[in-house]
Amino acid sequence: MEFLSQTYTALRGPTSLPPSLHPPTQSSLQTITKLTDRLSPSTLLADRRAAILTLKGLARDPRHRAEVGEVALHGLLGVLCEQGGDVEVDPEAGKGVLETLGVLCDAEGEGEELAMRHTDLVLAESTSTDRLFYLLAPSQPQPPQQHQAHALPFYTRYAALQLLHTLLKNRRTVVQKYFLKASSGPGAIVGLLEDRREIIRNESLHILPPLLTSSPPIQSLLAFSGVFESLFGVVTNEGGIEGGVVVEDALRCVEAMLRFNGSNQAYFSSLPLPKTLLSLLLFPTQLQQLPAPQEFSLQFWDAQKAKNASLVVSVLGMLVGGGKKGNVSVHETLIYSKCLLELALSSNAPTSLKIQALPLLPPTLPQPLTTLLLTPYLPVPETNGEEWDRLEPESVAGVLVELVVLGEYGGILGDGGREGLELRAAGATVFENLVSDGEIRFGILQSLLPSNAPPHPTPLLHALSTPPTSPINQTTQTSTHFSTLLFSHLVRSSPKAKTLARNIKSLHAEGGEGGGLFVPADGTLFGPAAGAPPVKAGEEEEEGPETLLQLLSEYLSLAFLERGRVGSGSGEAREWDRLICAYLSLLAQWLWEDSKSVKEFLDAGGLGVLVEPINQTSESDEIVSGLCVFLLGICYEFNREPGEIARSTIHPILNRLGTDTLLGRMSRLREDERVKGVSPESIVLPYPHTVVLRAEGGGREGEIWFDWAFVDFFKSNYYTIQKGLGSDPNSLGSSTGQNVETAMLVASLREVIKSQAQEIENLNAELKKLSSGDDKESEHVQQVTTLTAELRSSEEKRKDGEKEQEDLLVLLDEISSKRRKDKERMKEAGLEVSEDEGDDEDEEDEEDEDEE
Amino acid sequence: MAGISWHYVLKFIITGDSAVGKSSLLIRLTDQRFITNPDPTLGVEFGSKLINIEEQNKVVKLQCWDTAGTESFRSITRSYYRGAAGCLLVYDVTNRTTFTNARTWLADVREHADPHLTCILVGNKVDLCSDDSSTSASGKHREVPTEEAELWAKEEGLLFVEASAKSGQNVQEAFEKATRDILDKIQRGVFEDDRSPGVKSSRPNNNSLTLESSKARGTCCNT
Repeated sequence: MEFLSQTYTALRGPTSLPPSLHPPTQSSLQTITKLTDRLSPSTLLADRRAAILTLKGLARDPRHRAEVGEVALHGLLGVLCEQGGDVEVDPEAGKGVLETLGVLCDAEGEGEELAMRHTDLVLAESTSTDRLFYLLAPSQPQPPQQHQAHALPFYTRYAALQLLHTLLKNRRTVVQKYFLKASSGPGAIVGLLEDRREIIRNESLHILPPLLTSSPPIQSLLAFSGVFESLFGVVTNEGGIEGGVVVEDALRCVEAMLRFNGSNQAYFSSLPLPKTLLSLLLFPTQLQQLPAPQEFSLQFWDAQKAKNASLVVSVLGMLVGGGKKGNVSVHETLIYSKCLLELALSSNAPTSLKIQALPLLPPTLPQPLTTLLLTPYLPVPETNGEEWDRLEPESVAGVLVELVVLGEYGGILGDGGREGLELRAAGATVFENLVSDGEIRFGILQSLLPSNAPPHPTPLLHALSTPPTSPINQTTQTSTHFSTLLFSHLVRSSPKAKTLARNIKSLHAEGGEGGGLFVPADGTLFGPAAGAPPVKAGEEEEEGPETLLQLLSEYLSLAFLERGRVGSGSGEAREWDRLICAYLSLLAQWLWEDSKSVKEFLDAGGLGVLVEPINQTSESDEIVSGLCVFLLGICYEFNREPGEIARSTIHPILNRLGTDTLLGRMSRLREDERVKGVSPESIVLPYPHTVVLRAEGGGREGEIWFDWAFVDFFKSNYYTIQKGLGSDPNSLGSSTGQNVETAMLVASLREVIKSQAQEIENLNAELKKLSSGDDKESEHVQQVTTLTAELRSSEEKRKDGEKEQEDLLVLLDEISSKRRKDKERMKEAGLEVSEDEGDDEDEEDEEDEDEE
Repeated sequence: MAGISWHYVLKFIITGDSAVGKSSLLIRLTDQRFITNPDPTLGVEFGSKLINIEEQNKVVKLQCWDTAGTESFRSITRSYYRGAAGCLLVYDVTNRTTFTNARTWLADVREHADPHLTCILVGNKVDLCSDDSSTSASGKHREVPTEEAELWAKEEGLLFVEASAKSGQNVQEAFEKATRDILDKIQRGVFEDDRSPGVKSSRPNNNSLTLESSKARGTCCNT
């Protein structure tokens, strides 16, 4: 400081005038101007360095910052941009210039406007950023011993990096533009990431995200320059996902380079790096049918590791999604999916990670994974997660059902609050995707049939046929709720599945009350339900085995009964309402377009159960009465089987309730937050605070009412039911919508027609070709006949000619003999005969002709 | 992809005027198909392909970066030259301008790229002027004679081939030709270790992988 004040005084010049004549601002401005003059290259290095340092001191003072910016900024930029100038030669001066610029552009705290103005000045042209990239770039490849000498001193490099960071924060797009054109830009980034000095490397990890943001060209350019490799170098050097926040930063950069950048995804998956991702999670990189090794399934997790792993999972998810676009080979998609599946279903990974992994699975799992056997683990109670039991291998569907119905680890660690619900909801979606494959769906339903009853009941059927207990047990209720969701995935829009489901018998009819222990470590949870309602016991003795459908309608009425007892407003009332909604929405999806099921439901007394809550609305939740109307509408619409309760029986009831009232109930359901708040991504809703306050010891953070599949189903069939409710009992069904199976049938028939049409066309074309060949042939025949005719005629002509010639010869012969006689006669008469030679010739000719 | 099955990874860039068929060449190489009306490339697109150079008994992985030919992307494209081992300089044989512009593209490449970069001049779209019946169905006809292009390529020390992304003729050959040349340079020791950023041999990759997989830790179990 003493040095600074000395310089300051020295520069200010002799203080001959009394200070009062020099207002401080005036003098500081002069000082700054003088200092700026000293920045010129003609000054001695030591003076320049001193000037820079003084300016830095002044810039730090908010009172002088504006002046320094105004007067000295250009000079400072000049020093910065001078090739081979101070910045490269003198570490002290270089660091000073960079830091002064950094202070001037720093927008943190007050003076944001000023900092922005300075930033704009610095970025007016690309020269300063080009210079920064040049300074940051590793020197051109040199033999090792010279390499060190060329590298910039640590502080210069660090200050340059910080200045760049500040500029990026203030004016990202401008810096991005310059970066793309700077020849040393990409090299600089790679160099920084590979710098052995941790501070520089870590700081560069902070520069990357703003540099990459929303600029696919930069993302691709960096990928091309090898930044992926450098980033993974950082990750592995730091010890993988256990490596703390630096690893998180690096992985975040990897993620940013891949997200929304198809080209980079394609490039990345062609590198060996995705396999490194798997090995980061300790997952084997070769695909085997064997269960994943324990070192993968059971790991120590802390918060930072979970964050890092979450980034790895997110990148894996992108690669799996990229498979659709053909960027990733089928084989690799399989490995990534398997890793995600194992992580979510049979590992001790944090719940948040599992929630993240499940939705990233492809909607249709690749073939071998549907039949994959997983070995889930359960924590041994009271070992604080240090000891784990390994369970018997089970199919993916089986593990999913257990996860969804019972919760994570069979629920032995509690229901896990909102996260627990989200995990189960995510599992339910995967299950839905899984059973969209008809074979798997029918397989699961078959296994629930009494004829194939397994030695101990499946959790799904068990939870479905667990009767509601009073007071309501939250855990059981949630299990039942999730099992209705799963079951509706099984039966939705498939007549065949519905037929199968109608044959499923309830457990209790055969095996008594809630006996089955399906998960060894889980016995306590689902032991015999304490408060089994007495109504049940009586009925069982009279009738044979009940069907599941009958059982459900019975439980529905039971739930209504209990709900009526509890009174409104309490937390327990809300739980009952939710359970009722679960039953109602399952029934709605089951009875849709299935008249046999409708009949069975009505025969089991369903009509009365539904009409009651519609009639008395004062107490119950309006969502419940809305759903009842919807189900009633379905019953009316699809009640097409002859039976005791016909459409004409229901019609007067509808009239008495009033069609308008009914429609009003339904529309209120549609507008309810609990329906509107559901999205394909998330079905867990926050638990309303008003209710939390009133609920005694509820302590819920989230709750589930409907899943997206039901909301979608409800919304798309809303109008059909609305129309149906108002229609005459004798009218035909107003629904024209086809279910999936008919649609598929139509589609396949269409396909057949199409292929047949194609075939006909082909045959036609061929026929035409052949017939055109015929034409040619007949042409040929004709030609042949004409040619023969011609030939014949010319032959005749020739013969005629020959004959004529012969005649002529005979004639000639006669003439010549006559002539000879005449000649002789003339000789005899004494006349002179002249042309003997000619005569000879004639004779010769004759001879010739004779020869011929 | 069973393990690492290549000996070298080579970075290629494909450059030239817009609409000469750079992307189509790449797609023909990687997917063996032809798209009639691709959208203009924005920035860059990536594609990769394993090719086998039998004479040298080497499997080479080509990493191809298809760049945008549009003027506005030119400065971005330049940044790619430096890291490439090979370059396909493409023109359209039915469009003379694209051939004349190839000179400026080459100048750009020369200015920014590694001096040992292998460049092959590719005259694309020869399918449009097959059997030289001046005007074909599309109304296009050859504007750049083979001999002229060949001569220029010779003068500039470029490899040369005429190809068609549509028919697939000579497409793979173009890449193979350039690859052979690069492998040749490698054998002659033109690239000292790690000198060209566009060439990588598979050895270092193998090493890093084994390192990673052997580093298995952090398990906590007893069954």
